[in-house]
Amino acid sequence: MKENISQSIPRSDAKAKLRGETKYIADIPFDKLLYAKTLRSTKAKAKIRSILLPKIPDGYFVIDQHDVPGKNRMRTVVSDHPIFAQDDVQYIGQPILLVVGEDRETVYNILAQIQVEYEEERPLLTLEEAENSSAVFTDYHYDKGNPCAAFQNAKTLIEDEFATGYQEHVYLEPNGMAAEFKGDTLFVYGSMQCPFYAKGALLETMDLADDKVRVIQTTTGGAFGGKEEFPSLIACQVAVASLKTQKPVMMIYDRMEDILCSTKRHPSKIRYKAALDENQQIVALDIDVLFNAGAYNGLSPVVLQRGIFSVTNVYHIPHLRVHGRNFMTNSVPSGAYRGFGAPQTIFGTEMMLYNIAVKLGIEPLDYKARHLLKRNDPTCTGGRIHDEVKMFEILEKITQMSGYYEKIKHSPKYHGIGASLFLHGCGFTGKGETVINGAIQLTKKNQEVTLKVSSVEMGQGAETVLRKIVAYTLEIQMEQIIFEKTDTGLVPDSGPTVASRTTMIVGGLLQQAALEMKERWHEAESFEVTRRYNHPDFLHWDDQKFHGDAYPVYSWGANVAEIEIDPVTYELTIKNLYGVYDVGVPIDLRSLEGQMQGGIAQGIGWATIEVMETSQGRLIQTNLTNYKIPTAMDVPEMEIEFISNPYEFGPFGAKCAGELPFVGAPPAVAAAVSHALKKPINHLPIRPEKLMEIDNEN
Amino acid sequence: MVNAFHPETLSKALEILAENPCTIMAGGTDLMAQKARGFAIRPVFEHPLLFINHIDELKQISLEDNEIHIGACATLSELLESQLIADTFKDVIRQMASPPIRNLATIGGNICNASPAADTLPYLYALDAQVEIQSQTGLRTLPIREFIKAPKTNGLQNNELLTHIVLPNKEFDINFYRKLGQRRGMSLTKASFHGLANVTNGSVTDLCLALGSVAPTIVRCELTEQLLIGQSFINIEEILPTVLNKYSEIIKPIDDARSTAKYRKEVSIRLIKNFLLGLGK
Repeated sequence: MKENISQSIPRSDAKAKLRGETKYIADIPFDKLLYAKTLRSTKAKAKIRSILLPKIPDGYFVIDQHDVPGKNRMRTVVSDHPIFAQDDVQYIGQPILLVVGEDRETVYNILAQIQVEYEEERPLLTLEEAENSSAVFTDYHYDKGNPCAAFQNAKTLIEDEFATGYQEHVYLEPNGMAAEFKGDTLFVYGSMQCPFYAKGALLETMDLADDKVRVIQTTTGGAFGGKEEFPSLIACQVAVASLKTQKPVMMIYDRMEDILCSTKRHPSKIRYKAALDENQQIVALDIDVLFNAGAYNGLSPVVLQRGIFSVTNVYHIPHLRVHGRNFMTNSVPSGAYRGFGAPQTIFGTEMMLYNIAVKLGIEPLDYKARHLLKRNDPTCTGGRIHDEVKMFEILEKITQMSGYYEKIKHSPKYHGIGASLFLHGCGFTGKGETVINGAIQLTKKNQEVTLKVSSVEMGQGAETVLRKIVAYTLEIQMEQIIFEKTDTGLVPDSGPTVASRTTMIVGGLLQQAALEMKERWHEAESFEVTRRYNHPDFLHWDDQKFHGDAYPVYSWGANVAEIEIDPVTYELTIKNLYGVYDVGVPIDLRSLEGQMQGGIAQGIGWATIEVMETSQGRLIQTNLTNYKIPTAMDVPEMEIEFISNPYEFGPFGAKCAGELPFVGAPPAVAAAVSHALKKPINHLPIRPEKLMEIDNEN
Repeated sequence: MVNAFHPETLSKALEILAENPCTIMAGGTDLMAQKARGFAIRPVFEHPLLFINHIDELKQISLEDNEIHIGACATLSELLESQLIADTFKDVIRQMASPPIRNLATIGGNICNASPAADTLPYLYALDAQVEIQSQTGLRTLPIREFIKAPKTNGLQNNELLTHIVLPNKEFDINFYRKLGQRRGMSLTKASFHGLANVTNGSVTDLCLALGSVAPTIVRCELTEQLLIGQSFINIEEILPTVLNKYSEIIKPIDDARSTAKYRKEVSIRLIKNFLLGLGK
């Protein structure tokens, strides 16, 4: 079998999912199962004075901080979130305890009778308040070139400020987890992206030896980053409950609970000072990035890192001063979400350039093109663009496809067209890949090969793509490749399913192993090949100074959006969206097209209709009745193309793809709206409520 | 446990109602959402449930004396399929919820739930629909505007059932309906406008304007409509400021999770203005 890798094949998980045969965590039967439900804080910031429990019937249990055998903190980048609240609560929705028992209704009724006496304290409710109070979790700086001199010598100085809002993941399947002990071994099952993250958290919280914990990923109905770190918390909670009750314990969130207490995309504020030379070229930027991390820092430092390392986007800016801060507010913790901090900073940078171009009377796309990075240029952190940059090819293609230059000149009032250029750093930031040091294994048995990775299928097509890479390398049939169950007891740790790293990094290791297996195919009936990640020698990164190659390689893209605004109601219609992407070599065109369409739809949602606000620390939109994500009727016609730019270290030349499309859509839409109204668009989401205000201003 | 009645006929249903206070369940699409308690937990109802959505007498749509009689348990999908329902009304219904919900949700339920955002109401107000209310002791008829008392409050007594909605069988020369939601489909209304008019020789001969989701109940102002009826298109332009001022006084929206009071008010005024100025075009 030797075929074109880009040619699409059927998804291996599609049939069962379409037929409704797939079992998710809530469908899995356990003997003598107990159900758990969480008692949550109703205060944004308070000391817990006392907890008054009703009489607890036989067979029902209350699980709290005192039942935790190990550390009562969830292990992640910053392990600060308590598994169960200790003496205080820091946000509305924070878990205090679990009620566990056989009958869900009884569990609910017990929960409703528990009285918590709080001593309320003054919370920090907004990013502004947090900034004024200097409630900083993480404070990062880096410079490039000589920003001081560049600002002193500048011909023109321009300042601008941007803000973006929350975003909820709205994966189809809400969070759910179950735990049971078999003998002295703990088994945890559930919907998640990163089984080894959950395992790591369980080892610390349960104080168990490495071989006494197994985490098994069940079919995961979507994640988008929302099931990166958050499931570790529920995993620990049900594990503690199972230890105390000595029975299997399951906890399934309903939608409202999931929205109320699971992580969100970081709301942001980004301030720019731009120094222009006599040719109106941007020579220096001073950028201040503020993220609202919520009540606990958790994963936020690495989100902020990607945010500030993506901040110059596809542009070569010689001198930089970058300041990034995560702020603490008494609100639901922010966390991983497709794009991981980059959508915020790339939106800011795209619109900053757009606004400057408009101010200078230069066509925005031409102005952006003047600043484009080329191969061997230094990156914002002083690394190198090691590979060929095909942005001019992308630009030419997208402007032709969309008729951009014609339409930007001749758009009637309330019609607009806008373009965005963007990149995404492939794989983990900085030393991430070296630290994880991902491992994979291929096992040959007769004519079948079992593929062992901890990268999960979560609806994105990983299982099909990874099997495809192995099958096409070995030149055997897809059916001969078995995807091992994602069970930490059966598979090596190939790292978490995040950072658009699965195809490029894990797929790359699989291809290397498959090549070796192919050479040795006739050596024996059965044998194994394992591989561990090696960071390419030419990449350097200093984690203290934030200097060097923050990413091994980048994927690139451009979007053009065409929009129309209703002059009476200010409703926004996105009519067409064009995308041209360089993801190296597409591993499966249909699958990738789906990724691009989904990413665009999600990006459009964040940019336009997904409004999530808080009032006194309480989320206002807590269900799908008032938190709306786009339907097919809200999503435009999409025309998507790929250009080929093979990456030496990626399988079949593939780079990253999953997050890239999210990053591009919001600034393209914002530019188009700005074009239509002739007003700057510096805030997301772009609601009709806001557009009416903007258009009424003179 | 949930106690429930499942009568086969209307008279049996009325008999049950006469004896027990009940929570009336038609399609249940509002009620079940309101009573949801959590994943895999049964809702709790204060009173026994009275299921009525299967009762044939309450599902009929008929034309009598040039009036359309709609059974309260006709589903939104059934209204869309009926040849007796005006296209004007179907335009409204098609923008409600999603096909699965329309297959369950009833017109009677939409009315009795008495939400300021109920999407059938602006049209029913505009057409001066009547509602028929039955109890074991008899039948009474009320104009829709008198039936809807306040948000979530209707004019039913404990022993009564809304059985039919009666509409004049008429279409207008000009029909303009606009529903604004947070997105294009499957969305609750944040503001809506329905304008209906007849025009002859450059003048308005009939007109009704109704607005949804911008006040505790549907906004309709006959006095202002009377001011407009009989006017030429040119005159309408002249009296427009007076008309818009009048509506500005009675449109009293709120800020909520879906929109802002400020937007709701301004967009309503703009929709009225747009409709009136467009009459001659």
